[in-house]
Amino acid sequence: MVRTGQRLLHSLLLLAGVSLFSFALLSVAPGNFFDELRLNPQISPKTVASLEQQYGVNRSLPVRYAHWLGSIANGSLGYSLLYRCDVGSLVLPRARNTLLLTTVATLLAWAFALVWGILEALHRGKWLDRLGGVCTSLLLAIPDLLLGLMLLVLAVRAGSVFAFRAYLGSGGTAASEASAGLGSRLFLPVLALTLGILPVLVRHVRSAMIVALDAPFVDAARAHGISASRVICRHALPAALNSLLSLLGFSIGGLLSMSLITEVILGWPGLGPLVLEAMFARDTYVVMAAVMLSAAFLIAGNLLADILTYWNDPRIRVVSA
Amino acid sequence: MNRSARRRIHRALWLVPLVTLHLVLLFPGFFAPYDFAEQNRDFPFRPPARLRFVDANGAFHLRPFVYALKVDDVSSVVQEDTSRVFPLRFFINGSRYSVLGPWNARLHLFGVESPGRLWLFGTDDFGRDLFSRILFGGRISVFAGILGAAIALLAGASLGVIAGFYGRGADAAFMRLVELFLALPWLYLLLAVRAVLPLRVRTVDAFLLLVAVTGLIGWARPARLVRGIVLSARERGFVLAARSMCASDWYILRRHILPQTYATLLTTAVLLVPQFILAEVTLSFLGLGVSEPIPSWGNLLAQLQSYRVLTSYWWMYLPAAILVMLFLLYHRASSALEKRATRVSL
Amino acid sequence: MSRYPLSAASLPLVAAVMLVIGFPLQAVAQDDTLKTGVHGKTGGSLTVALRTEPKTLNPVLSVDAASREVIGAIQADLIHINRETQRTEPALATEWKISPDGKRYTLRLRRGVKFSDGAPFDADDVLFSFKLYLDEKLNSPQRDLLLFDDKPLTVTKLDPYTVRFDLPRPYGAGVRLFDGLAMMPRHLLETPYHEGRLAQMWAVNSPAGALAGLGPFHLKEYVPGQRLVLERNPNYWKTDAQGVRLPYLSQLIFSVVTSEDAQVAGLQRGEADIVERLRADDYSVLQRDAQKRVCLRDLGPGLESIFLFFNLNHLDPAKQPDLAPKQEWFRELRFRQAVSLAMDRKGMARLVYGGLATPIWTSATPGNKLWLNAALPHPERSIEKGRALLQSAGFRWDSQGQLLDAHSRPVAFTILVSSSNAQRSRLATLAVDDLKQLGMDVQVVPMEFRALVDRVLNTKNYEAVLMNIVNGDADPTPEMNLWLSSGEMHLWDLGEAQPATPWEAEIDSLMRAQLIATSFAARKQAYDRVQELVSQNLPLIFLLSPNILVGARPVVGNFRPAVLEPYALWNADQLFVRPAGSATCQ
Repeated sequence: MVRTGQRLLHSLLLLAGVSLFSFALLSVAPGNFFDELRLNPQISPKTVASLEQQYGVNRSLPVRYAHWLGSIANGSLGYSLLYRCDVGSLVLPRARNTLLLTTVATLLAWAFALVWGILEALHRGKWLDRLGGVCTSLLLAIPDLLLGLMLLVLAVRAGSVFAFRAYLGSGGTAASEASAGLGSRLFLPVLALTLGILPVLVRHVRSAMIVALDAPFVDAARAHGISASRVICRHALPAALNSLLSLLGFSIGGLLSMSLITEVILGWPGLGPLVLEAMFARDTYVVMAAVMLSAAFLIAGNLLADILTYWNDPRIRVVSA
Repeated sequence: MNRSARRRIHRALWLVPLVTLHLVLLFPGFFAPYDFAEQNRDFPFRPPARLRFVDANGAFHLRPFVYALKVDDVSSVVQEDTSRVFPLRFFINGSRYSVLGPWNARLHLFGVESPGRLWLFGTDDFGRDLFSRILFGGRISVFAGILGAAIALLAGASLGVIAGFYGRGADAAFMRLVELFLALPWLYLLLAVRAVLPLRVRTVDAFLLLVAVTGLIGWARPARLVRGIVLSARERGFVLAARSMCASDWYILRRHILPQTYATLLTTAVLLVPQFILAEVTLSFLGLGVSEPIPSWGNLLAQLQSYRVLTSYWWMYLPAAILVMLFLLYHRASSALEKRATRVSL
Repeated sequence: MSRYPLSAASLPLVAAVMLVIGFPLQAVAQDDTLKTGVHGKTGGSLTVALRTEPKTLNPVLSVDAASREVIGAIQADLIHINRETQRTEPALATEWKISPDGKRYTLRLRRGVKFSDGAPFDADDVLFSFKLYLDEKLNSPQRDLLLFDDKPLTVTKLDPYTVRFDLPRPYGAGVRLFDGLAMMPRHLLETPYHEGRLAQMWAVNSPAGALAGLGPFHLKEYVPGQRLVLERNPNYWKTDAQGVRLPYLSQLIFSVVTSEDAQVAGLQRGEADIVERLRADDYSVLQRDAQKRVCLRDLGPGLESIFLFFNLNHLDPAKQPDLAPKQEWFRELRFRQAVSLAMDRKGMARLVYGGLATPIWTSATPGNKLWLNAALPHPERSIEKGRALLQSAGFRWDSQGQLLDAHSRPVAFTILVSSSNAQRSRLATLAVDDLKQLGMDVQVVPMEFRALVDRVLNTKNYEAVLMNIVNGDADPTPEMNLWLSSGEMHLWDLGEAQPATPWEAEIDSLMRAQLIATSFAARKQAYDRVQELVSQNLPLIFLLSPNILVGARPVVGNFRPAVLEPYALWNADQLFVRPAGSATCQ
């Protein structure tokens, strides 16, 4: 219990450190949001200076940081210069969209990876394993970037295929498309993301399963005459899953940050395109909010991984006691 | 030779394309028939050149050849000029390129005489030879990746060794720093840092800064690995024995601890390089890395963002194919190294 | 906001008539516009694809194009410039008088007009709206347009349906001033304004009930990052020639489609009905579509000009020693002329814009038909002439072909370009290759946009820059800051209280003259001479103006795009859905 409490405090401190670091980094960039207005001949520099003054973009770093902390306290998460509204109301719906995408993709990837990895481990060295190995190598070698682009071309070329049609639009009236909602457009981004996550997961599942299958207690179980399937399900699998718990934690940690490129390429209205635009426009608070949210997820994921492993494996408890 | 030797060579065959590719990318000026900036404004988006053996009159030529292209004045259609053949030549003199610093050369591995043009992979939007651009671009992307990985490893290993060896205070500070860096979403950080970089007038400087930036962000994971190894190595018997004989810290590090890390460092290096290459490709794709007219695989791929290019000009995908091939080779290398490492340690 | 000068002869005529009769040509003008439209069927919905999300629905704060488009469909102004005829027409103001000295405008408001929520519209709303635009604390981008020599105009209410505007000095462009200034509801915004909350009002995610306007549509629904749904305003004041109340459409949807491919695919498949600004690449893809599912219009060059310029600032040589020798080259007129002659404008238009851009040699683009000085020469690209000019200026070439100046220094410099615009980077690449043929060693340095602005406007630490300017109106007045030596956007030589060269002095006096002259002929003469001076002295080396490309599906009725923003939606109230099965473009 104490340990968990300690870790929690530790994580909060880490989050604070991340915020300081990111804020400092973002503030080093030359120029501010209102520079774009300067190049508009119809707006005088007096107005621009006045706007800069009004939104305090030229104040010193500690002052702005304190201001930002204050805005977290009152829940608004800051003010977006680009959208002229509270960052919270801007970022949270987008984060929801991103989570929709990544959660579905992660669930699918894990389901697939478990099945595939276990199969590969069971048929180690045979053609199934080799074929799987080649596939994962290929998928591993293709970056997210290319996956997104390739799928996009495929969608456009094979536009009549149902799944792609749903992504591109039902082809009916725009009104009906509007009511179909975001869900129908999930297919392509989810596919891209799942294919991206899959190879690493499969490899880890496979090696975890192999390690478990090679363990002495499995030999002992077999020697006792326990059937193969029972050995696998009741003895090897739990051991393998145990070592995969930390990976699960990391998967959860990456939920907000893994899909930036895919979202940008496939036009998914999530956090990615928003943050990219905000970064170029020097809309600091939006970027800070996104970075903090992602970091929070990452830290929470690490924490979860730690807790799960600790809780599940009595050996670790003994060692640290 | 006996069977086991043959098998070993067979297993290591992947090394050949890997090393060759790197050698070729180290001297793109020689291996590429043209300069990466040479424009042919009348011939944008030409498909890859057709090397023929039989000419318009039915005569067979031993050397493959190409025809020159001409633009019809009236219809603006590009046609092959079948009146003259331009055979493939090796070790031909062409555009000037720099081999190393001020040392220039004009020798190219292959090419055709002017005004013939050998566009092996076709041309891009300004009529520049894609094959040459892929080679020059590869030099930038791949070596940015290698240098970045080297910096990350160097920084990470040094810090990891110090933390692992001296323990306590240094270790605690180190772990906090590592966690900080691992908690930051790397892509956001990369974008933000890139936006921060001041003007670099020379592209070489921009390239080096890019490398430094990616390197300094990626040091955390290797550092943690190295620290773990150093921690366990510190407690081994031979280290204690050396200490009892008043060996200095530096001696212990050099003779006993560091050698333990080499295997891991090598494996990590081979794992990191594709990631760093990908970082450069991503940055350039988003417009934040190397820019026109200097090619890099990232900005070559950025052309694919245009709908027209995506659907009409298949040869513009070739940089992607080469990239994937390189990554496959690197992954093969890393799994081979892993196998070797586990075999050795057992 | 657009201002278009009235056609050459009509402004003095109109002014004279107005002075004599005291009534504007309201009745004529109203029938005029509606006669040109086709009577459409009411009902139906159309979708417009936007590349970026609208940032705000608050007319006082909006700057970006996407926001302006949506606001244009929700709000209405007092006097509107018809984008097709390019003349002013009555909108919320039915008649107006201009005093003989040109400083007083008296406008009579339309009676019986209601906001979309049913509240009545009168002079109090007008006063309130102008108070918002002029409020110093709100810092509206519109504010500077209402300042004349730094003094604001004053607004007075004469009676509930008459408003008087007093300007500190005469204004050449006249009532075109009022185009684009939305009239806002006092009953909804006065309280937030007095509480200091106006800047937070009418963000994109506001509840639909919080907004009200006088435009053809009003906000129904906003889905973040995806679309904005506008619904027909039942209280819209305009009717068509048959007396049917506009707009025809019952719904107008703005859909955010950020990826280019998805936009093109969407247009072809019917997911979007209108795309207001197509890129040259998309346009050529759609042109080659065998089924001709999209009606494309190439409207010719717009008001954007892309140019190259050199750093001619008078800098402290101690601070920037590298720049001083290079500025010697830049200041040499023949050097700039040679650079201009070397630019392959046609090649740039062909390779970067697929031919859908127009070469330009001076500040007014061919899209600005009324103001373009057509008598100016368009010198053909000539490397030989360029080299001859350089030689006469004392430059020479070494054995490698590298250009050297009179002191045998190699001519090498950098061109800054914004990294966020791919097309401009490509233009820079072509320019570099052109300059290589003159023997110059030029490098392109892409920079993040804000860093670029910082360099050009603040630190002045650059050698050459390739950038663009979009003129807000086809009138020279918005460009004042660019051409005046003391202007804040006198890019190549900022912060000069006095003109640095005789030709800049002449440009100063000409621009000042056209600002207060009331006759179009006098203004045109002045601006013609400005263009001539610019093309001779080349402070900015103009290259291209991209064409305005618009696309719509055949179902869009009354699709009559114009060269001014909003290209296809300026007549949103007259758009309608043609009967199903209409496959031919109008």
